[in-house]
Order: sequence, then C-alpha cells, then structure tokens
Amino acid sequence: MSNVKFMNPFVEAASEVLKAEVQAEVRRGTLSLQKASLTTDDVTVLISLVGEVQGVVLYGFSVETCLAIVSRITEQEFKEFDNLAQSGIAELGNVITGRATIKLSESGYRSNISPPTLIHGRGIQISTLDFSRIVVPLVTEFGDIVVHLALRESPPGAGDHNFVPISIP
Amino acid sequence: MAKILIVDDAEFLRMRISKMLIGDGYEVIEAENGALAVEAYKTQKPDVVLMDITMPEMDGLTALKEIRAIDPKARVVMLTALGQESVVLEAIKSGARDFVVKPFERERVLSAITKLLA
Repeated sequence: MSNVKFMNPFVEAASEVLKAEVQAEVRRGTLSLQKASLTTDDVTVLISLVGEVQGVVLYGFSVETCLAIVSRITEQEFKEFDNLAQSGIAELGNVITGRATIKLSESGYRSNISPPTLIHGRGIQISTLDFSRIVVPLVTEFGDIVVHLALRESPPGAGDHNFVPISIP
Repeated sequence: MAKILIVDDAEFLRMRISKMLIGDGYEVIEAENGALAVEAYKTQKPDVVLMDITMPEMDGLTALKEIRAIDPKARVVMLTALGQESVVLEAIKSGARDFVVKPFERERVLSAITKLLA
C-alpha cells in the first residue's frame, strides 16, 4: 500500500465522525504533496501511529472552526478556546484517527495511536524533515479541516518505532 | 438513583457523558485516570463504571483489573477510540461487561448502562 492509499481511511473516518458528531457533510478539497515545513493554522492536533503503518497525522483548524464544532457537539455556545474546547478538539482528532486505524486494520495494516497533542498557535513551523506529507483539506460548513498525513508502511522488524521525524524549530 | 463513574482523561468527553447521564436521572462521579478511578471505586462504590482505555498515570485495562480485584462483581463498560479486536478482547477477558466505541451514540451508552443495572 503506497502512502497515498493510506489517505482514504482518514478521509472516510473524518466524514463518518463529523457526520455522527456534528451532522456535517464533508467534501474533500484539492490534494497536494508537501515536503516543506507546514505552517500551523490556529490549532493543530498531532497524533502518531506505530505498528504496521508508522508516522504522524496532523489536523489543522482555525479557532472559529474549533469553536463552531465544539458548540455544535455540546449544544452550548463556546466563545473562547478554553481547556474544555481544546479537550474537545483533541478528542475529535483522537476519534477520527482511531476510526481510521480500524479501517487500516481491515486492509491488513494494524497500528496503534498515541494520545493527541494539541498545538495552539498560528504560524508555528512543523517539519517532517525529508518525509513528504499528503495534505487533504476537508471542507465543512464549520470551516476547513486540513489533514496532513506523513505515513508509510513499516519496514520489516521496525516494531513499535515511529520512524517519521518531527521537528518544531 | 444509580451512580455512574465516568473515567476518561479527556475533560470534554467526561462533560458530554455527564450531561447525558444527569439528564437521564443518574448520579455521576468523574475520574481523569485509572488510578483516580480505583480510589473513587473504593470510596464511592458506583453501580457502573464507564472506562476509557488509553489514559496517563494508569490505563483503563489496568484500572479494570484493579477494580475487579477489589470487587469481582464490578460492572465496567470500556470506552475506546481504537475499537480494535485485541484491546476489546483483553478487556472482556479481564472482566469488562460491555464496550462502546467512540464516537458513541447516546442510545448505545444508555442501553449499556440500563442492561447492566437490570
């Protein structure tokens, strides 16, 4: 399975989770392959995968999109991106990635995921060094969610090591 | 009034489930990791535990085993974002009575609790 083929489980998982959680339809935007550092949007959720698929997945949001999503999920208005809202967005990334790993597992690629890390701050440079990322914008009524996938099939004997380096200067 | 212990490191998720259960007339207590859940179980004797699997300090599987060692009849439902067979199987072997895969549906959580309380 090539790197690109790992994309569909994440797009499907995001569509299913957003439909279940916020009754939103998701449309896939234009794909791109990026090697340069990504410059963060307001909020980035980072989750690592280890196992037969290894690497990192990053989900980028604007604060407005985050607030709209957590407000819809809880049916109460969030005006600030406080700890509770941050917990909600991290959990959303966690659930999407968890569901994607089920789909990957069904294709014969078992993996486990790390707890989510949330980066709050626009303009931070995150590099996967020389490892290219597939970038998939997901267009929703709440705003775009940009998914960055730096994943590949593990080499034999790699075990539970994550070989994709991350650098945040 | 049945007492439910919600164990999850995600504050947001605890809040969501609490809101749902309180709205349905349950008494709710919360713990943010497995170690605190074991302490809460000893002191507050909940009727049902909803337990996340991946947590800092002490994970859900370890907490499940400790709670079952304290009370072999403990009724524990696992909450998992992974939904992978091996994790669920280990939880069931360790005494979990049911499991709910996130994102959970309100009715699924409530029916798991109702079934265990019957």
